[in-house]
Amino acid sequence: MSELFPRKQVMGFVFSMVLTAAALTVYFLDVSFAVGMTILLVTAFVQAAVQLVVFMHAGETEDKQVIYMNIYYAVAIALVTVFGTLLIMVWDM
Amino acid sequence: MKIDNSLPLEYKTEQNRLNILGFWIFLGAEVMLFATLFATYFTLQHRTGNGPSGAEIFEITPVLIETILLLTSSFTIGLGVHAMRIGKKKAMMSFFAITLLLGLAFLGVEIYEFTHYTHIGAGLQVSAFTGILMTTLGTHGAHVTLGLFWGLFIILQVKKQGLTPKTANKAFIFSLYWHFLDVVWIFIFSFVYLKGMM
Repeated sequence: MSELFPRKQVMGFVFSMVLTAAALTVYFLDVSFAVGMTILLVTAFVQAAVQLVVFMHAGETEDKQVIYMNIYYAVAIALVTVFGTLLIMVWDM
Repeated sequence: MKIDNSLPLEYKTEQNRLNILGFWIFLGAEVMLFATLFATYFTLQHRTGNGPSGAEIFEITPVLIETILLLTSSFTIGLGVHAMRIGKKKAMMSFFAITLLLGLAFLGVEIYEFTHYTHIGAGLQVSAFTGILMTTLGTHGAHVTLGLFWGLFIILQVKKQGLTPKTANKAFIFSLYWHFLDVVWIFIFSFVYLKGMM
């Protein structure tokens, strides 16, 4: 039975629950907007990285480099889209 | 057909490997799709018109239930892929079934949430904010719905044909899709709900 629950994945799951609990502090504790956003940005991106590496096995074959390059490219475009939009439409710069 | 025995079943042929790589590229495009939805959400989130704001309609309990359901389902499908790699067909099918049940429960809570929003006067057409909120949540929910059917067909194929390079490859690609939906939810949980309630 224990062979069905590899240590790496169980630890990954526990870690993702801990990260969720950490993110919840912004709701249950009285934090400023800047501190809250910092906590959320860190927990969300670490959480995404845990999924990619532990659960999605992004780096286990010789395609590793291509897969990571594709992820970096997608994330870069996503960040430019989101922050570019914020810059113009919300922060009014 | 070139067969490489040093790799798991789902990578057995060149075609299998390319299928997995191709799916990663599709996921890259999906990241950008959700990025545009988030960008639009952040632009419109304060344009509430005569409707309610996020802080007024969001509730922590259903959101937390949804998060735990989806995180757990991401874990169980990971276990499913592991079981598949050590050749345990029954265990693999059970983990995939548990994953789909958790996904179904998630969808149930989300549907409850949508009807609740509509009842309290935050329907799709009330304001720019409710419009983009439901579009963003709905796009994710539509992906989960598609995933439920896809996963069901994967289980049926494995049941019928057993664990072959072909079915293992399909199952692995489905697991990538499911984990990706969990990643998207983490961002919705953090930057739509928690940020809105902060």
